[in-house]
Amino acid sequence: MLVILAIVALYIGVYDFNGVSPFTVLGQFIKGDPNLALSDKYVIWDVRASRIIMAILVGSMLAVSGTTLQGLFKNPLATGEAIGLTSGATLLAAIAIVLGGHFKQYLPEMVQFSLVGISAFVGALLAMMLVYRISTSAGKTNVVMMLLSGVAITSIGFSITGFLIYISKDEQLRDLTFWNMGSLAGATWTKNIVLTVVLIISYTILLPKGKALNAMMLGEKDAQHLGINVERLKKQIVIITSLMVGTCVAFSGTIGFVGLIVPYILRLLFKSNYVFILPLSAVLGSILLLIADTFSRSIVAPSELPIGILTSLIGGPIFIAILIKFKKSL
Amino acid sequence: MIKAHQISYKHKEFHILDGVDVSLDYGEFLAIVGPNGAGKSSLLSVLANEVKSKQKIVFKDKNLNDWEVRELSKHKAKFSQHNSNDITLEVKDVVMMGRYPYFDAQPRQEDIDATNDRMHETEVFHLKDREYNTLSGGEKQRVHLSRVMVQLENEITHKLVFLDEPLNNLDVKHQYKALEIIKNFTKNTNSAIVVLHDLNLAAQFADKILLMKSGRVAAYGTPEEVFTAENISEAYNFPCTICEHPITNNPMIIFG
Repeated sequence: MLVILAIVALYIGVYDFNGVSPFTVLGQFIKGDPNLALSDKYVIWDVRASRIIMAILVGSMLAVSGTTLQGLFKNPLATGEAIGLTSGATLLAAIAIVLGGHFKQYLPEMVQFSLVGISAFVGALLAMMLVYRISTSAGKTNVVMMLLSGVAITSIGFSITGFLIYISKDEQLRDLTFWNMGSLAGATWTKNIVLTVVLIISYTILLPKGKALNAMMLGEKDAQHLGINVERLKKQIVIITSLMVGTCVAFSGTIGFVGLIVPYILRLLFKSNYVFILPLSAVLGSILLLIADTFSRSIVAPSELPIGILTSLIGGPIFIAILIKFKKSL
Repeated sequence: MIKAHQISYKHKEFHILDGVDVSLDYGEFLAIVGPNGAGKSSLLSVLANEVKSKQKIVFKDKNLNDWEVRELSKHKAKFSQHNSNDITLEVKDVVMMGRYPYFDAQPRQEDIDATNDRMHETEVFHLKDREYNTLSGGEKQRVHLSRVMVQLENEITHKLVFLDEPLNNLDVKHQYKALEIIKNFTKNTNSAIVVLHDLNLAAQFADKILLMKSGRVAAYGTPEEVFTAENISEAYNFPCTICEHPITNNPMIIFG
C-alpha cells in the first residue's frame, strides 16, 4: 500500500512534464538518459522523490516515537507534542539557528548543519527527562502531571521562541517560521540519508520491544519478574524517542499529532498489543504523512499548505476522542 | 532454595521489617500469615528482589543480585497483590506474557499449548478472547495465576513462586483450586511462598507457617507448631480456640 501511495504521490504535483508521465521521467533519470531536461531531472529527483522519501521516513519515526512513549507512560495521550518533547526540540533548534547565525562565518558548514539537529535532540531529551521526573514516581505515571508538565514546557518553549523571532534577522526569521509550521519542502537527499541512519539505529533497538511494552502494562515490578530489564528499557526509550523526535524536528519542523493519530487507529484494531502496533505504526505513520503531504502540496496548488495544519486538524479531534473515552476510566 | 538472614527494611524511619530470617527447602510450601501491616507483603517484595535490601539474599546458592534478569525469570515468578486494572489486551495475550522469557518475536506452538492448558486449569479458557478490562476481580486474579504459573513451566528443577494474597476475590471453589495448583507445583521439588489471610486454608495446605507481627517473626514452624491458641491470639490481638479438623486432622482455628 505504501508503495502504491508513493507512486501516486509521485504523479501528483504542480510541475508539468510536457505530457510525459513522471515515471517515464524517473525511468529516464535512473537509466541516465542524456536527453532528459535538467529541470525535469531536478523536479523528479531532487524535489518530488526526495520529498516523498522524507515524508515516509519522518512519518514513520514520528508514529513509532508516539507509540513507544505511550508504552512508557502507559497512556494513549502521551505523544511528543502533548508532553512537550517537540517544543523542547523546537526551542533548542531555534536557539541554535539564531545564536548559530552569529558564529556562522567561523563554523564549517558541516558543523552548522548538524548543530541544529543535535540541539533539537538535546532539547527533546531534556524535555523528556523533565516530564518523566515530574510525572512519574515509583513506577506510576500521573497522567494529569504528565500533560500539565507538557503544557508548561510548551509555554516556556513558545515564549522563548517568540522572543527569538522578535530579535532575529530576516533570514533567521524565515527559518524560525518554518520550524513552527512544519513542512517537508526542505527535503534533500543529504537529510534523507541522515534520517535513514537514525531510523535504522532506532528501529533495531525499539521495534523488538513490543513484548516489553506489553509487560509494562502489568506494572514495572511485574515486568521485571517477566525477565525484562525495566531500567535499561526506560533509558533506551527516553534516548531513542528523543533522538527520533529531535531529528524529525530539525529537518521538518513541528509536524504535530502523527504520534497520536497512528497508534489511535491501530489500537482500534489490535487493542494495545504492542507486538503488533509498534511495527505497524512504522508503516502506517509513513502512509499517513505521505497522504497528508501530498494533499498539502496539491490542495491549494500552485502554493502549498503547511503540513502541520493538516495533521493537527485530524489530530485535535482524536485527542478529544481519547480524552472522552479516558474520562470514564479516570 | 532461598535463604535470607536478618532482613530489615525501613521506610522513612519506620521499620517495616526488622531482623527477619527466612529459609526455605526444596519442595516446601511456606505460608506467611499475620495481621494487617505486619510486613507480609514487604517481606515478599524483598525476597522477590523488588526492593533492594542491604542484606544478602541467596537464591539457589547464588546471590540474588548476581542473577541475570531474564534467566531469573525462568526460575522464579511472582503474583502481585495489586494487579493493574488497565490492560487493554485480550485475556490470552495477558496469559501469554508468562511465556515472554521463552520466545523472541512470535510465540511457538508449545507456548500457545502451555497457556491454553493453564487457562483450562484456572477455568478462564472460555474468557480467552474477552478483553481483560471487562473481567470481574476474581476472574482477573485467575488470569494472573495462569500467567504466573505458565511462566515457570519449563525443564528447570527447583523453581520458586511468590504469591501475594492470591485468593483475594476468589469464591470458595476457586480458592481451593488455586491452592491445589500451588500445592501440585510444590510436589515436583519446587517451592512456594504464599501470603495468606485464611489461617485454616494455610493450615490445610502449607508445609511451614511464618507468623508475622510488627515486622518481626512471631512464630515459625509446621502448622501444628505455629497455630496454637497463644500464638494466634497474641499476634492478632483477638481471642481464638484451636481444635482438630474432623477430616484432615490439621489444626482448625475458630475466632471469637
